[in-house]
Amino acid sequence: MKYLTYILLSLWLLAVTIPLAWVGVNSLRSSKEIVENPFGVPWLVQGSPHQEEAGHPTPQESAQSNFQNAWVESNFSQYFLNSLIVTSVSLVMILLFGAMAAYALAKIPSLGNRLIYLYFISGMMIPAQLTLVPLFFQYSYLSETLSAWTAPLGIEIQLHNSHAGLILIYIAFSLPFTILILTGFFKSLPNALRESAIIDGASEFTVFWRIMLPLARPGIISAAIFNFLGLWNEYLFALIFVNTPEKKTLPLGLSNVSIQAQYNTDFGLLFAGLVIVIIPTLITYLVLQRQLTKGITAGALKG
Amino acid sequence: MHINRELKRLRWFLIAPALILFTCFTALPGVRALIYSFQKWDGFNEPEWVGTQNFQALLADDLFIPALKNNAILMVAGGAITLCLALLFASTIHRGMRGAGIFRVAFFFPNILAAVAIAILWQQMYSTTDFGIINAVWIQLQEALPGVFLDKDQSPAPFPFTDSNYLIWSIVPMLVWTATGFYMVLFLAAMQSIPEEFYEAATIDGASPRQQFWHITFPLIREVFIVGIVFFIISTAKFFDAVWVMEAELPNKNSHVMATVLYQKVFHEYNVGYAAAVAVVLFILVFIATLITLNFSRKDSLEY
Repeated sequence: MKYLTYILLSLWLLAVTIPLAWVGVNSLRSSKEIVENPFGVPWLVQGSPHQEEAGHPTPQESAQSNFQNAWVESNFSQYFLNSLIVTSVSLVMILLFGAMAAYALAKIPSLGNRLIYLYFISGMMIPAQLTLVPLFFQYSYLSETLSAWTAPLGIEIQLHNSHAGLILIYIAFSLPFTILILTGFFKSLPNALRESAIIDGASEFTVFWRIMLPLARPGIISAAIFNFLGLWNEYLFALIFVNTPEKKTLPLGLSNVSIQAQYNTDFGLLFAGLVIVIIPTLITYLVLQRQLTKGITAGALKG
Repeated sequence: MHINRELKRLRWFLIAPALILFTCFTALPGVRALIYSFQKWDGFNEPEWVGTQNFQALLADDLFIPALKNNAILMVAGGAITLCLALLFASTIHRGMRGAGIFRVAFFFPNILAAVAIAILWQQMYSTTDFGIINAVWIQLQEALPGVFLDKDQSPAPFPFTDSNYLIWSIVPMLVWTATGFYMVLFLAAMQSIPEEFYEAATIDGASPRQQFWHITFPLIREVFIVGIVFFIISTAKFFDAVWVMEAELPNKNSHVMATVLYQKVFHEYNVGYAAAVAVVLFILVFIATLITLNFSRKDSLEY
């Protein structure tokens, strides 16, 4: 029995790692090689039979051309930058606004706190799909109204097909979970800290900004990791609210390349694109693996 | 504590940004969707109030009902395999074994990949244009074992899962591949909070590992297991990315799920009220499932 489960676990380990290794190997090969030899590894070790042919790319050249195609010609550099902008701006805002609200709800006693807390938390039950359609029309209306106000200044506000529009949605959607985690965290900090600081002449804001916020760092970090992965990989909202190539995020860019690959059969490019999308999450995971699994499961149990 | 004016002002200053953003871009659109679902609206002209007509139409819809069935396939088939595997893996690792850390780290990893990337990876593995590894193994298998999968004189056929008619079934292994690690870690965390003395006592009484699992481990993590089931229901009710990507943004009657029907109704058929009704059904499913989770997670601090 023991050996049997060991074998089963090892098989699963292979099932998880082989596809990922396959993506990595294929991103280093030309489309022709990929199509001719699906498994790749033998050719990578021995060199492919085409190596002798004139003009056939060496593995280094294939890799270089795949990544160059993806990064430059297929705009992955732009998508990467867009994802970076959208994710990091959203993340900063989410953590700032989330921590502010969570602190008030946890540490400033008031009658309405419980109600406001429940209001935020109930947001976790709202699936993105429910809000998609109203948000779409709300954005048209908001853009028009706001632009009418700002027209005298020569500014036109457009929430459709803009990073700002996407960021607003990301912030709003990530707040419930962030507030849930951080309120719990602030509650665990002793009140005596605040009282002694006030006696020493600190303002209430200073207590929050200089004492409580730094102490809540572990909670803020786990909220940050969780939100980073969710936003970096987000597809549905981005699909609906971003249309032009120069605004698209990585998941959108990748799905575009995938659809094109079915016609132009540039699979080397597709695999290189996959690697570009996977690498940042892989690095994040390897560095923060312990905190991440702990945070995600704790969040899951609460949510 | 006495609340002075400064503190009161600070309180609203701290809460306001989150409250306004959440209200405008999550809560309000959520309520709006409920209102839309009782209207007939093309997105341009005046909306017309139609009562429950949209919901009645849904019940007879030849796109929505198959989509609901597809969501159910993902839930039931994917859920059963994923949760059983996760439970098996977690209980094995929990009772101590070499290399447990590697298994845990590796199994969890697919969870943090973009759903789009996973979908494309699997699509390529299934690919029939010669290089998909699953398809290649399948063809090799048919050649190696003539007469098992095919009649002797038939030539090897491509893996049927790549067919759009079977798309949902081809997503099931992908779902299991992705999710098992997550549920394993979830169950493992619950198992690790069970006091070691229980197992020591059971071992002294001569209970076999299997008996220990069914009489100690499983009863004590039952709540978390149910949370796991509910979680799976929620995630498969919302399922969108993989179907959308694998079908190149054009799912057909056999491959639609609820969320893709919703997209189609708004952006292809301009039937906003109808799409909102789909969203409301999806929401009600998620809502009920979440209520069950909250109910259980409140009780999950078992007294030992």
